[in-house]
Amino acid sequence: MDSAPPGNDPIPLMIAPSTSSIVIAAGLRSPWIKAGGQFRGEDAGHLGATVTRELLARTGVPAEELDEVITGAVGPPHDQANLSRVIALRAGIPREVPARTVARNCASGMEAVTQAVTEIRAGNGSLYMCLGVEVMSAYPLIMGRKLTGFFESMMKARSLPARLATIASFRPSMLAPRVALLEGLRDPVTNLLMGQTAEVLVRDFGLTREACDTYATESHHRARISRDRGRFEREILPMAPLSRKPIKDLVRHDDGIRNDQTVEALGRMRPYFEKPDGVVTIGNSCGITDGACALLITTEEKARELGLQPLARIKSYAWAGCDPSRMGLGPVFSSKLALEAAGCSLADMDVIEINEAFAAQVLACKQAFSSDDFAQKHLGQETAMGEIDPAKLNPNGGAVALGHPVGATGARLLLTAAHELAVGDHNLALTTLCIGGGQGGAVVLERIDGSAV
Amino acid sequence: MEPSNIEEAQQNEDAMTSTDSTQNDLHKMPSVTGFPMPDDAPAPGACIRVERPEAGLAIVIFDPPHRSFPIFDAPLLRDLDIVLSGLEGDTSLKGIVFTGRHPGQFLAGADVEAIQKITDPALVEQAVIAVHALFDRVERLKPRTVAAVGGPVPGGAFEFSLACDRILLVDGKSSRIGLPETMLGILPGWGGTHRLPRRIGIPKALDCILTGRLLPAKPAKKRGLVDRLVHSEDLVRVAIEVAMGRKSCRRASRGIWKWLIDCNPLAKAIIRDQALKGVDSKAHGKYPAPYAALDLVLSAPSASHSTWARREAEAIGSLATGSVCKSLVGIFFASEAAKKLGKRADGSEPNRPVQATVVGAGVMGAGIASSLALAKVSVRLGDLSSEALAGAITNHRKEVDKRRRRKRLQPHDANAAIDHLVGVEGLVGMTQSEIAIEAVAEVLHVKASVFGELAGQLSDDAILATNTSSLSVSAIAKNLPHPERVVGMHFFNPVKAMPLVEVVRGEETNDETVTRTCALAIAMGKTPVVTRDVPGFLVNRILGPYLDEAVRLFVGGADVEHVDALMLNFGMPMGPFVLLDEVGFDIAQHAAASLHAGYGGRMAPCPGLTGMSDDTRLGRKTGKGFYDHPKEGDRKSKRKLAQDLAHFQTESWAGSLPDGEITDRLVYAMVGEAARCLEENVVESESILDLASVFGTGFAPFRGGLWSHAKSVGLGAVCSRMTELHEKEDVQARGAGAERFDPAPVAAQMMD
Repeated sequence: MDSAPPGNDPIPLMIAPSTSSIVIAAGLRSPWIKAGGQFRGEDAGHLGATVTRELLARTGVPAEELDEVITGAVGPPHDQANLSRVIALRAGIPREVPARTVARNCASGMEAVTQAVTEIRAGNGSLYMCLGVEVMSAYPLIMGRKLTGFFESMMKARSLPARLATIASFRPSMLAPRVALLEGLRDPVTNLLMGQTAEVLVRDFGLTREACDTYATESHHRARISRDRGRFEREILPMAPLSRKPIKDLVRHDDGIRNDQTVEALGRMRPYFEKPDGVVTIGNSCGITDGACALLITTEEKARELGLQPLARIKSYAWAGCDPSRMGLGPVFSSKLALEAAGCSLADMDVIEINEAFAAQVLACKQAFSSDDFAQKHLGQETAMGEIDPAKLNPNGGAVALGHPVGATGARLLLTAAHELAVGDHNLALTTLCIGGGQGGAVVLERIDGSAV
Repeated sequence: MEPSNIEEAQQNEDAMTSTDSTQNDLHKMPSVTGFPMPDDAPAPGACIRVERPEAGLAIVIFDPPHRSFPIFDAPLLRDLDIVLSGLEGDTSLKGIVFTGRHPGQFLAGADVEAIQKITDPALVEQAVIAVHALFDRVERLKPRTVAAVGGPVPGGAFEFSLACDRILLVDGKSSRIGLPETMLGILPGWGGTHRLPRRIGIPKALDCILTGRLLPAKPAKKRGLVDRLVHSEDLVRVAIEVAMGRKSCRRASRGIWKWLIDCNPLAKAIIRDQALKGVDSKAHGKYPAPYAALDLVLSAPSASHSTWARREAEAIGSLATGSVCKSLVGIFFASEAAKKLGKRADGSEPNRPVQATVVGAGVMGAGIASSLALAKVSVRLGDLSSEALAGAITNHRKEVDKRRRRKRLQPHDANAAIDHLVGVEGLVGMTQSEIAIEAVAEVLHVKASVFGELAGQLSDDAILATNTSSLSVSAIAKNLPHPERVVGMHFFNPVKAMPLVEVVRGEETNDETVTRTCALAIAMGKTPVVTRDVPGFLVNRILGPYLDEAVRLFVGGADVEHVDALMLNFGMPMGPFVLLDEVGFDIAQHAAASLHAGYGGRMAPCPGLTGMSDDTRLGRKTGKGFYDHPKEGDRKSKRKLAQDLAHFQTESWAGSLPDGEITDRLVYAMVGEAARCLEENVVESESILDLASVFGTGFAPFRGGLWSHAKSVGLGAVCSRMTELHEKEDVQARGAGAERFDPAPVAAQMMD
């Protein structure tokens, strides 16, 4: 740590960092690409390293000054243990800079940022590269236990009769693969798929299929407008994905946005998770997506020292737990804590980013935020936190349109919200998401005077 | 060499068979091999140390004090004789380890310098047979002999190792082992053509010897060139264990394959046929060494031990004293000398750049960026067109994938090579680059503005290099804040294949910039040649008259395929018309125009090419030029002569020219310009000109390069021939263009 600037009163080192404001100094993300699409050939290490290297190059931050690289990922590739380290080294960050990979399901990218905040507050460092990375295209099919057992006994069988006996024990059913993606999206404690937890909320809050589809359509609509007016160009690094086929052009847009989405078209889709009466369809859920997002987290002083114009101040953050079978309500619980820590109310928020895991889940949160009954039962307070103005909620669309590369989304929400403060000339933003297993995470961002527009 | 030396060598060889040669303590005693003894030769016995750390073990260490990298020169061979005599007499020995000064350095093979000086075949034979005798004695040693080697182990050093019972090689990145002799126009004549096929079989031995490739550790083990790989720290320890029989180290046996292939006349006939085709396709009958090596290797399994030496000696005797070998060795030395350009005057080496910028993702920029990335330099490739960037990245990844498939890159190195090339729209984030190479349009103000923008971003000691081929480096540097750090770095197309880089020194370019640029070129695996900042620099300047002369012959009615065949036969890698198609008519015209602007009438281009070219006819890239070219990806069809050529052949004087005159016109047009380049000191020496002509234009390597060729013809003869050509009617009709065949510059070189 650098000591205090000369001339000022000496400030004890243990306290100095915690009193300084912590900021998102800069950020960059890959386009959000539907799994199995243009990023089919990507691997998490390359995708993460690409955005990291470019963020360092564009900001001109000397990589050796980084205190650590923290990467959030839900399903890191099995051949890249400590994905964060792989990304750091592939991005050309000096080997002296350590790296850790962190996980908190869908909030892993946000977890990376809050860990950096914690480190800075504790005085352990002042400059962190934080990432969220997910290449869901690369989720494998796994051989079942039975087949593994079969191979094990084949290896152990030494004599011919033993081998023949083992071979005879083979059953075609052993070949059935396990789909890592599906198993990853099932909560092992409640045995519910994530979509099924959304259906629980639908019943709890009496949501209708039409409300969900309308919300989903609006998400596509907003995302399309933002894309067309170049809003995402501030965030997205046009890139050449790894691919077997020749690349014709750099990929520069999120490809989940449907230009002509209508409620009617969504209405024709069949429920996916609970047939026949469910309301959650593929159309009003987030897409399975690949993407990576990198954020430079540091103190305001350090950012200025590095010649950077920070995007936003991190005012507070909070994590909260809730019922795993109603994990979609996580944002309500965590936002309450984060807002309290920031000393703000929901009404103070100019922008609210709630991750759209499912349209139904966002609508449920919205009701919960404004319900006195819910506040009394679950939040231990008399009155509701407040009504959410739909105009403030996900102004650039959300995961239903853009997609949800699980580990990366938390970082993307922060990046989008941080830019939105300047773009929309706002002061405060709430960024929150629900987390499989029954948690919520929330971060309150504040605009810095003179933030770049 | 004096004849008396042979006699002495002979006497000494006689003495060698007895064990008392150690008594010979003359400082400058004649060498056992007949190789000339260098002036700084150490006292007998000083080149090789023998350590005996335990009973029954001898460690023989090649450590000649007069060589920073030991080679099999006369003093070392003399001392090997002495040491062997001592070992032969010692019956207590169980194992002997032969090794170098340290694990990363063994021996660099035979004394190439000495080879170049010898002119008498008999003397060469004598020397070869003497070395054979030494190596045979190593092979006959009763104790188990282990060669413990590492670093480069080429040629003679490997042949020595083959005479040992086991070979251990350091498992490290610097290890390279093989028999590169055919690249220098000779063959592995110290037992290599016989011991290697016996060790690994004929097919693999042929591959090894005919390609002359030096293999890294893992492939060398896989192919059986060595018996075991060891970490460098363990090299001597493990070698001792193996030599003393405490650790087993099996030598892979060829087993049944030996009988099925190596000793099977039918199989050998097929192999011979295939190998001959391969050799023909590269050597075109111009290089005798691969043919001789092929015959020796094929007869190896059936040859009796006593005939090896004689056969190899005879082959080498005629090869080493032949002109091809001299030419190839000359170029080898020139290219070795070029590698020193990457060092400062005080011998220190500049830091290798970690970050570089390339601007312009066209063919050249993309190629340069890819080569840099493969040389482990992190590159930001900037261009305004994202399609161009995507194309450049795609091609780079294709190249990386190819190398990964061919196992030339390990998967993690391939990943790194892919990571090292980043496409950037515009010129953002280049601040950390230590060098920026521009390959944008050949327009002065475009290049100057790119450099102006980069100069504002880059650090104060970054180099700005231009890949221009037709503009003046000094002009580009003019209004920049640091013209001393602006330099020309002229690559040739295709960048990945062409070994030459012209490093162009502008008026204000400083030495440090030239050295750093050369060092980068070397790090990219290229050979740098420093030239002055004259129009066309060196290579394009001498190539210009050659191509223009070809176009004139064409317009004059010469047969395109015939001219191409003549020049192919002369030793060029392709004929001038195929080359024009490859280069592209537009590029060729642009280059010709800039030469014309720079040098005036002498370089006045024949309008024939302009008349021929239009948007659909620019050479191979448009599918049509002098030839019709098959579409990309179409591997079945070949190029065919275009049908409408007669239409452009407006004259008829060249239709009946004798073959000799066609070749002379083309070659002497180049020779005349080369003489002018020497006169103007465009490059420092004749050998550099030779090197550039071979590496840049592909000029017949067996002729030793353009100027060596002229000299071997005789500059006087060249002059008189040029005078004849100068007087030709069509040449005179060109007016100032006739100056091209003015013999005066060549004559001036004769005076020097």
